[in-house]
Amino acid sequence: MFDFQLLFEMRGLILQGLWNTVWICFLGCLVALGLGLVLASLRLSSPRLVGPLVATYIELCRGIPLLVILFLLYYGGPSIGLRLSAEIAGLVGIGLYGAGYFAEIYRGGFLSIPQGQLEAARMLGISRLNILRRIQIPQMLQLIVPPSTNQLIILVKESALLSVISVDDLTKNATAMVNETFAVIEPYITVALLYWLIIETIARGGYALEKRLAQRSRMPTPSSSDTAGATHATS
Amino acid sequence: MPPLETTIDPITKAKTTAVNGSLIEARGISKHFGDLHVLDNIDFALSPSEVVCVIGPSGSGKSTLLRCLAFLEPYDDGNVYIHGQLLGYEQRGGMRIRASEKAIDRVRAPLGMVFQHFHLWPHRTALQNVTEALRLVQGLSRREADREGMAMLKRVGLFDRAHHYPASLSGGQKQRVAIARALAMKPEVMLFDEPTSALDPELVGEVLAVMKQLASDGMTMAIVTHEMGFAANVADRVVFMDEGRIVESGKPETLFRRPASERLSQFLNTWRERALT
Ligand SMILES: Nc1ncnc2c1ncn2[C@@H]1O[C@H](COP(=O)(O)OP(=O)(O)OP(=O)(O)O)[C@@H](O)[C@H]1O
Ligand SMILES: [Mg+2]
Repeated sequence: MFDFQLLFEMRGLILQGLWNTVWICFLGCLVALGLGLVLASLRLSSPRLVGPLVATYIELCRGIPLLVILFLLYYGGPSIGLRLSAEIAGLVGIGLYGAGYFAEIYRGGFLSIPQGQLEAARMLGISRLNILRRIQIPQMLQLIVPPSTNQLIILVKESALLSVISVDDLTKNATAMVNETFAVIEPYITVALLYWLIIETIARGGYALEKRLAQRSRMPTPSSSDTAGATHATS
Repeated sequence: MPPLETTIDPITKAKTTAVNGSLIEARGISKHFGDLHVLDNIDFALSPSEVVCVIGPSGSGKSTLLRCLAFLEPYDDGNVYIHGQLLGYEQRGGMRIRASEKAIDRVRAPLGMVFQHFHLWPHRTALQNVTEALRLVQGLSRREADREGMAMLKRVGLFDRAHHYPASLSGGQKQRVAIARALAMKPEVMLFDEPTSALDPELVGEVLAVMKQLASDGMTMAIVTHEMGFAANVADRVVFMDEGRIVESGKPETLFRRPASERLSQFLNTWRERALT
């Protein structure tokens, strides 16, 4: 039998875990999204100097498990004078790790826009920042929303690893409940449902955004646009 | 137009006085892509209201020349001046360093450019393509920009297509929007890189007509083209390029009737044969 009474008694732990998972993931993902954009822009605007550094960074993100990054930040940090609380280490870890993935997603989006469109803008005196804001991002959004949504979901799921560096997130608190009550099913089923809820929210948000973008811009997809000789990430 | 800045640098200043009269002047510019010497010591100047057509075989460096004049492609050697101001570089203590984007924007503000493949922004309507820079660069209000934009579209005969997206315009219409977009910034010089080469033959005329009108309005233009008829009729001067050099340059009558070089007569013969078939 599923013991609802038990869950009610444990609501403090559940809510604390939910709150920690939500805020750390939220801020971590913001860092990842923002830093990813910076990395992708740097890589494309300075292919010779900064580009290889960014490429290496991305390789590292893909090549190192998040858990190892978290260990390095949390346990290794102090040896270089970096003393982070478990929560902040988790947030930073998710941000740095996710940024590598988002940078790649954005890069694909940037590359789908023909260089000539940017040259036309430069010839009119439009600044790089405005080109990014008004010409590149609007066109790449449609393309990057689906993979970005996917990546956000993966990050939320991987955030369960924060429990290992003692963040009181959903996963850790579920285990705490198990230890306290010896009931296994109720705590884990509950956090499973809560994770699913968070992820479902992200998925629906992404889907809604996708639909809105498609509607708002009666704009043709990049592949049917008035350009020749352009490489497209998708068709 | 912003007032021209007086350069303090003695080197630049010396040149400033020397290039009096030319809107654009390129002196001895060279460009390499790796081992490929694409432009080889080119001199090229445009005086106000002059229309110059650049012709030459494929790969001869015509586009690269135009792109270097606009600094879309940095040139390796030589100098390009716009209104006597060095474009793209700064002389500092005898050294030449790359100018900042802002400085480049300021010096090339008098240039407008039209590309073979239009390069309209597909997520903006025809009107928005024209008004974008008016708003972002000149800081016009939406209403002012729209009024200006509509005037420009009218000028190229596309008043009624203002709210169409590029995808629903024909090639000729797209190119005319691109011309309107460049004209909106009130350029003093227009650079065209094969503006009709991507068009179906029946759409070439409408674009050439707009360009012809521009020429008779006194616009200074440099046009890379394969339209020999247009060059003969509209150009004040024709420049023939081959293998990164200017082989011949002169009035179209002279150049087309009595080519001085073997290469130009060959080029013209090939063109005539192709025109006949
Ligand atoms: N970005 C680049 N990188 C390497 N090589 C280039 C680049 N751009 C042009 N080239 C080479 O430079 C040479 C001149 O090219 P350019 O485009 O200026 O010729 P063009 O006269 O405009 O030819 P077309 O009539 O075919 O347009 C060609 O051999 C071309 O392959
Ligand atoms: Mg060319």
